[in-house]
Amino acid sequence: MKAKELIPRLVRRGAPAVALVAGNVGRPAAEEPSTLDRQYNLVRELAVTQFRLKYTGSVLGYVWSLAKPLMIFAIMYAVFSRLLRVGAGSPNFALQLLVAVVMWQFFSETTAVGLQSIVSNANVIRKAYFPRAILVIAATMTAFMTFLINFALILVVFIPLGRLEIGWQSLLLVPLIVELYVVALGLSLLLSTLYVFFRDVGYIWEIGTQILFYGSAVVYPLGFVPSKIQRLIVVNPVAQIIEDVRHVVVTRQVPLSGAVLGGYWFAPLLVTLAAALLGLWAFLRWSPQFAENL
Amino acid sequence: MSEVAIGLSGLSKRFRIPLDRSTSLKYRVAHPRSSSRYRDLLALKDVSFEVPEGQFLGIIGHNGSGKSTLLKILARIYAPTSGSVVIHGHVSPFLELGVGFHSELSARENVYLNGAVLGLTRRELRTRLDEIVGFAELDSFVDQKLKNFSSGMQVRLAFSIAIQVNAAILLMDEVLAVGDASFQEKCFEVFARYKREGRTVILVTHDLGAVDRYCDRAILFERGELVRDGASGEVTGYYRQTVGHRSDLDGRERAAVNRWGSGEAEITDVTYLNDAGVPQKVFSSGSPMTVQIHYQVHGELQRLVCGLAFHRSDGLNLAGPNTLSGRTPITPPGIGSTGTVSYRIDALPLLTGGYTLTVNLYPQFGEESYDYVEQGFPFRVVDDIGRPGLVDLGGKWSASQASN
Repeated sequence: MKAKELIPRLVRRGAPAVALVAGNVGRPAAEEPSTLDRQYNLVRELAVTQFRLKYTGSVLGYVWSLAKPLMIFAIMYAVFSRLLRVGAGSPNFALQLLVAVVMWQFFSETTAVGLQSIVSNANVIRKAYFPRAILVIAATMTAFMTFLINFALILVVFIPLGRLEIGWQSLLLVPLIVELYVVALGLSLLLSTLYVFFRDVGYIWEIGTQILFYGSAVVYPLGFVPSKIQRLIVVNPVAQIIEDVRHVVVTRQVPLSGAVLGGYWFAPLLVTLAAALLGLWAFLRWSPQFAENL
Repeated sequence: MSEVAIGLSGLSKRFRIPLDRSTSLKYRVAHPRSSSRYRDLLALKDVSFEVPEGQFLGIIGHNGSGKSTLLKILARIYAPTSGSVVIHGHVSPFLELGVGFHSELSARENVYLNGAVLGLTRRELRTRLDEIVGFAELDSFVDQKLKNFSSGMQVRLAFSIAIQVNAAILLMDEVLAVGDASFQEKCFEVFARYKREGRTVILVTHDLGAVDRYCDRAILFERGELVRDGASGEVTGYYRQTVGHRSDLDGRERAAVNRWGSGEAEITDVTYLNDAGVPQKVFSSGSPMTVQIHYQVHGELQRLVCGLAFHRSDGLNLAGPNTLSGRTPITPPGIGSTGTVSYRIDALPLLTGGYTLTVNLYPQFGEESYDYVEQGFPFRVVDDIGRPGLVDLGGKWSASQASN
């Protein structure tokens, strides 16, 4: 009897955690987090990690996330507004440009990171299972967090200065930002799927982003182009969102996209919906094959 | 208890291996119907079996036999090409330790990140953090970056997180191949605990000894097909034999053979037989082995003695039995006839390693050999429980103690 007892005691002394670990196994099922809790937890851990890693080793850290759109804004402002006098006729164009640049930065950064999110996590995908969309959502979330902070800073700085026109219409900002995220996520799902199978998509999207940038009325007021082309531009949800945000927070003298499109005001929403559904469908259709193609 | 945890029927998995590795759009556009530029690899062919709840199943086979593919399908990492997989219970979603580890993050942050990949929440991990780092013996390194850890420390941390996963069905791919001996011992303790708890465990490994010790059942895969399914000892035994048959020991292990003699008797063949009388070249320590020397007589022989010398692969002479010292006189057969001499070892005392045999046919001590083959006929011994050293001395332990 005595000798029998000796063995477990010795084992425990060498590795104290064994006994403790054994205690965890019998956890009652009631306190188990749900599958959704666990998936949400993974999204959060991945997003927070990416956010943290992004600034590891840089002295200014997060400041760069703010500095980058500000620098781009400064360049655009200098070149287009001052040199080429592009926005001269549009009221408060400097702030219109700033708001647009911050939103554009979010869109281009999200889709660029989202596109890479599956391929760059090949190692994890090949060795562990979880819904693959978590990787895309986490990647886009990191950029989304940065965007929300930047956008909030703009509001905090410029509302007290009286440079923004805030009113009831400003509440539309919330659905507009949601729409922007939905477009970016839908495209990210689609692009990340395509990128697994065709690496050219990376280059194509880089060029595509440039085309969209100049096609989205970021650096010029929409009124700068003929009205037929205005309609064409605003069908693109990113351009529509930028236009509408300019209307609801910067100046009501910028028309809502609905005013430009008239009876077809819902067209950009349809495009958003189509992008989201197409992205989701492609992703769900091909994600089971990611592991073997990476 | 006899509920089915995993049921597979007609499971097949085909991989399409592109013949040129270019996954470019240009290629797809230029060759729209280019499906012929792929080679199909059937990694699993029509595999069906069931695993009852609480079973410890070992999956063995050569590299590329499909065993890891099977595990990945069970983990849902791969989708099957055809057939069905029915799983009752939560399956551990990982195959390897430390998935998602990031060297720039601290041990603590990696616990949260890797834990999340394994499906554990930050809250669960926070309450168990001390226990995790304690088990990994990394208490004083919690806030150090992972890149400053040795690979052994990383493995310990990864294993400590992995055993927190509370899944009814656990999948493990070659977990035991990592870590030092004392850490492997810890892994085994955890396995033993899983077994007591009645969890279903599927272990893919090359360590036949671990399969023998921990698994109730083993399945052998060969080129994507299930070729053997049964009690673990039986399947690993079969595998050891077929390994011996197929993979002729590589040249490195085959010692240079010197041969001389008068030629009045000629050694024609030397075989090693297992207990069932089947020739093989790989033996387990402690298993029976019979050395059979076949010879042919070409001249008039007055006397015949057969001597053997067992060598370690570096040439060290381990033992030199002969029929003279073994008091087994051989009556020499006439010219042209053949004969066989056998030397049976009831329990092979050699431990893991490569060995060779010297065979000498001679008339009597001190006279010229009829035929002498020096350090030929290689064979391998595998000690399933990995004991260190050269031989099993066959000693018996005992101990006594006085209670105070």
